[in-house]
Amino acid sequence: MVTHEEILNIANLAKLSVSPEELDELTKDMNEIIGFADTINAACPQASDFDNINGLSNAFREDIVVPSYDREEILKNAESRDDGYFLVKKRM
Amino acid sequence: MTNYELVCGLETHIELSTNTKIFCSCTTEFGGDPNTHCCPVCIGLPGTLPKLNKRVVEYAIMAGLATNCEISRVSKMDRKNYVYPDLPKAYQISQYDMPLCKNGWVELSNGRKIRLTRIHIEEDAGKLVHQRGGTYVDYNRGGVPLIEIVSEPDIRSIDEAKEYLEKLQLIMRFIGISDCKMQEGSMRCDVNISMRPMGTEKFGTRTEIKNMNSFAHMAKAMDYEMNRQIDLLQSGEAVVQETRRYNEEDDCTESMRGKEDAHDYRYFREPDLVTIQVSDEIVNELKDKLPELPQKKAKRYMEDFGLPEADALLLTQYRKISEYFEAASKGVKNPKTVANCMIGQIFSRLEGDGAKENFAVKVTPENLNALVRLLDDGKIRMNLLKTTLEKMLDTGKAPSELISENDMGGVDPGALKAACEQAIAANPNAVSDYLGGKEKALKAILGAVMKATRGRADAMEVEKLLVQLIKK
Amino acid sequence: MESRIKKLREQMASGQISCLELTKTYLEAMDKENQKINAYVRSTPEVAIETAKRVDQKIASGEPLLPLEGIPMTLKDNISTKGIETTCCSKILKGYTPIYNATVWDLLQKQNAVLLGKTNMDEFAMGSSCETSCFGGALNPHDTSRVAGGSSGGVASAVGGNLAVYGLGSDTGGSIRQPASFCGLTGLKPTYGAVSRYGLIAYASSFDQIGPITQSVEDAAIVYDAISVYDEKDSTSRGKVGAPVCETLKNSIKGRKIGIAKEYFDGIRDDVNKAIQNAIQVYESLGAQIVYFDMPSLKYSLPVYYILACAEASSNLGRYDGIRYGYKTGHYADRNEMVCKTRSEGFGKEVKRRILLGTYVLSAGYYDAYYKKAQNLRGELVKAFEDAFQKCDVMLAPTVPMTAFPLNFTAKDAVETYLTDICTVPVNIAGLPAVSLPCGFDAAGLPIGMQLIGNRFCEATILNAAHQYETAVGDHVFRSAEMGVRL
Repeated sequence: MVTHEEILNIANLAKLSVSPEELDELTKDMNEIIGFADTINAACPQASDFDNINGLSNAFREDIVVPSYDREEILKNAESRDDGYFLVKKRM
Repeated sequence: MTNYELVCGLETHIELSTNTKIFCSCTTEFGGDPNTHCCPVCIGLPGTLPKLNKRVVEYAIMAGLATNCEISRVSKMDRKNYVYPDLPKAYQISQYDMPLCKNGWVELSNGRKIRLTRIHIEEDAGKLVHQRGGTYVDYNRGGVPLIEIVSEPDIRSIDEAKEYLEKLQLIMRFIGISDCKMQEGSMRCDVNISMRPMGTEKFGTRTEIKNMNSFAHMAKAMDYEMNRQIDLLQSGEAVVQETRRYNEEDDCTESMRGKEDAHDYRYFREPDLVTIQVSDEIVNELKDKLPELPQKKAKRYMEDFGLPEADALLLTQYRKISEYFEAASKGVKNPKTVANCMIGQIFSRLEGDGAKENFAVKVTPENLNALVRLLDDGKIRMNLLKTTLEKMLDTGKAPSELISENDMGGVDPGALKAACEQAIAANPNAVSDYLGGKEKALKAILGAVMKATRGRADAMEVEKLLVQLIKK
Repeated sequence: MESRIKKLREQMASGQISCLELTKTYLEAMDKENQKINAYVRSTPEVAIETAKRVDQKIASGEPLLPLEGIPMTLKDNISTKGIETTCCSKILKGYTPIYNATVWDLLQKQNAVLLGKTNMDEFAMGSSCETSCFGGALNPHDTSRVAGGSSGGVASAVGGNLAVYGLGSDTGGSIRQPASFCGLTGLKPTYGAVSRYGLIAYASSFDQIGPITQSVEDAAIVYDAISVYDEKDSTSRGKVGAPVCETLKNSIKGRKIGIAKEYFDGIRDDVNKAIQNAIQVYESLGAQIVYFDMPSLKYSLPVYYILACAEASSNLGRYDGIRYGYKTGHYADRNEMVCKTRSEGFGKEVKRRILLGTYVLSAGYYDAYYKKAQNLRGELVKAFEDAFQKCDVMLAPTVPMTAFPLNFTAKDAVETYLTDICTVPVNIAGLPAVSLPCGFDAAGLPIGMQLIGNRFCEATILNAAHQYETAVGDHVFRSAEMGVRL
C-alpha cells in the first residue's frame, strides 16, 4: 500500500506539489498502478542483469573543440535573464 | 580522559584538462563571459543527447594506473537524479556501481598506504551567483569533466590528509591530466570524519565536510570538526551523521541539512550512453604513455644521482621541472651541480607555483648541460659557471656565445705569477696587514687577482702562490 | 496500395503539378479541414512554401528529384525543429523554440521535404488516445467521434485525413503503430538505434524510436530508407544495417516462416482476431509457413514497460523547471516553490502520474522490487524474442486488441487504458522493428491493424512481408477518409 506520506515524499523528490484535494485521488491511482506493477513479482527472471538495449559499446567523441553557441541563442528561451545569466528571481 | 583517534576518508574531485567538455564539444577553458561556453547539450535542451569524450576515459584510466588501481574492463554511466538550478538536466551523469577504476592506493612518506576505493568520471555542474534578490545561473562549467577519487577511511591525522591530497595533486599534475588548482576549483574535496577511542576498531558516526577548496581551510575545518566531535563524545552526546560546511569567517563547521533536502538520488543506468569496454591494448597503451611517477623519480634521483631528499623532492614537483633536470644532467659527472643550478639560480627567477609548473626559462636544458660539462672538463670554474648561467638566464644565449676560448682552460702559470705580483704591488697596505698577522687581508689581494684573470684562475692555487710571493 | 510518394514525385517531375501548387493545395485543405480532426497544432506555411519554390527551381533546372523531395509532410510535435515552436503538446513547453534541429529533420530538409506543420500528440507522448494533449486530442478521420489513437495521434490523423502525405511520429510503447492501426495506415517502428533520436524530446530513452506513418508500405519503406542513417550525435545510433529496404519489397515470401505467439491473442476482440486469421490465410496462400509457439514471458510486458518507461521518464522530465525554457509559474515565495509550482501547473495529470510512478520505482527501498526486477525481466523478454526468431523470420500479431475507441474512453481508469498497449509494448522492450498495417474493418467500418515483428535490424524482412500482403489483398482492406487532398 502506498501511503499519503509516501506520495508526498515522492512528489517532493519529483518536485511536484500535491494539493490536499489531489492527494486522495493520486494515492488511489498510484495504488492501482503499483498493484498492477506488482504482477511482476510472480516472475522469477532467469536472465542476469540486463545490459543496454542495443548492445553497443565505446561510442566516443574525439576531444576537439567546436565553437559554442551564441549566448543570445542559449538564453533565447529563458523566461527571465539578466546580464548574460539565466535568472531566477527570489520571489514573484 | 579518553584519547581519540581520527578516522578520515577523502572524496576528491579533480577537473580533467581536456579541450572539450565530457559530453559535448564546448571548450573547457576557465572563465569566459557567463553562458558563452554552452550549447544545446550542456544546457540540457530537450531532445539533446550526450556523447562521451574519449580523452576523459583515457585520463581517468591514467589516473587509475598512476594510483595502483584495477581498471574495470566493463563500465557504464549512470544518472544521479536531483533538482538544482546548476544541474540543467536535473540529473548528473556519473558512475554508480561500475566505476572505471577501483582498489588503488597512494603511499605516504611515513610508509602508510591510503587505499583508494574507486575513481569514476562525471560531469561538473554550472555556477550559481546569488545576488540582487535572485539566483544567476552560468553553465560555462556545466559539463566540464571530473574524476572523483574516493579514499578508504585510512587517514589518521590532519597531516596525513594534507599529504595525501598533495600526493594526489602531484601525481595528477605529473601525468598531465589536471592542473589541480584548488583556488580555481579544479581540485576540491569532501572530508569524511569520525572519531573513535584510541585502540578501538569500530568506526564512530561520521560527518562529511563539503567542498574544501584550500589546504589551509581543510586543515582548519578538520581541526574544528575533530574537536567538536570529541566534545560531543566526551559529554556522552551522539554525533549526528550529516553534511557540514566550513565557515571561513567564524572558522567553524556548520550543518548544511535543510528540512526538504532528503536526498534520494535514484541512480539508474544512463540509457543515452553505451557500455564502456576497456581492452588490454588500451590499458597497455596508456601504461606506456604514463611518465615515471614523481615518488619513484625522487627515489631514483636520490639513489642514482646522490641527490639529497630535499633536492629530489623539489625537482619532482612538476613534470616539466623533472624533464628539464633529466635533460640537463644527461652525461654530466655530477648531477648535483645541475640540481644546484636549477634550485639555486633558476628557481629564484620563477615566482609562484604556476611559473614553476610552466617552467618557461630562457636557458634550454641542452645549454645548461653544455655549461656544466665545461666545469666537468675543468675548462671553467664554479664562479664562472654561476655568472655565466645568470647571463644565460638573461639572454637565452648558449655558453659558447658567452665564454670565449680565452676564458677557458685556466690561466698560464707565467701570466698568473705576473698577475699575483702586480696585485701585491698594488696593495701594499693589505700586504703589510697580512704580514702583521691579519690573515683576512689576503682576500683583498686574492680578489684583485681573480678580477684580473676574470675568474678563470683557481682560487686555492692563487692563494698558495700569493703566500709564497709575499713571504719571499 | 500504390506509393503516394512515388506518384506525386512523378507528377512533379513530369510537370503535371508544381511543388508549389501541391503544397498550396495541402495548406488550403489544412486551413479548411484541420478543425474537424485537430491533427495539426501548428502549421508552417512559410517554411513549406519556401521549400516548394526551391523544389520547383530544381525541377526547372532539370535536376532529378530525391526520394522525398517536394513531398508535403508533417512532424510530431516532439521532434525538434530549429526556429519552429516544439511543445510536446504540453503547457510546460508552450513558447519553446528549439535552437537546433533533430537529426531526422536535418536529413529530411536536405531532401527538401515540405513541412506543413507540427502535429498533435499525447502530452510528452504519454497516452494512447492523443487526449492528454494540452491542445485537445486529434480525432479519427474515419469517425470524428473517435480518437485517432496515441501518442502520435496527430500524425495519423493528418495522414489518414489526407492533410499530409506522410509524417514522422515516435514509438515508445506503440505510439506509431497504434494510431496507424486506428486510422487505417502503415506505421513503422524501427529497430532501436536505426533512426537517430537526437532532437526527439525524450519520454523513455531506451524505448523511444522515430518512424514513419504513411498510406502504404512502400511509402514507409521510402521514408525509412531516408531516415535510417548513423548519427554520431546519438551514442545509441547504428543506422540501417544492409541494403535499402525499398529494394527487397517485391521479393517473394515463399517459404518464409511466420511465427504466431499465442499470448498476443489473449483477450483481443473477436472481429480483430478474425481479421488477423484472414491475414494468416493470405500469407499461407503466398507460400509462407505458419509456426505457432508460446512466449509465456510476454505476460510481463506491460508492467515491465510501465515501470521502466516511467522510471526513465521521471528522470527525463526533471529538467522542466522554468529556468532555461518553457513555462514558468507567475507567483512563488522561493526557488523551490518556483520549481514545484512550475511543474505542477505545467504538466498534465497523466504526465504527473507517470513521473510519480517512475520516481517511486527508482526510490530507495523500491528499486530492487520494481526497477531492477523489471530490468531483469526485460532481459528475459529480449531472450524470448531471440528464441522466437530461431523458429521464424517474422512474427504476426494484432496491433491493438480493439479498434479506435470513442472520445473520453481512456479517461476513467489508468490501468485499463494501459492494457490497450498490450500488443505493442513487447517490441519496444526488446528494441525490435515492427510495422502495423491495415488488415480489415470492424462492423462500424473502423480500420483493424496487424503488426509484423522482425528480428533486430530486419526492417527489410517485415516490410517485404507487409508489402506482399498489401499487394495480395488489393485495396479492399484500405479506405481513404472522405476528406483532405485526394489527388
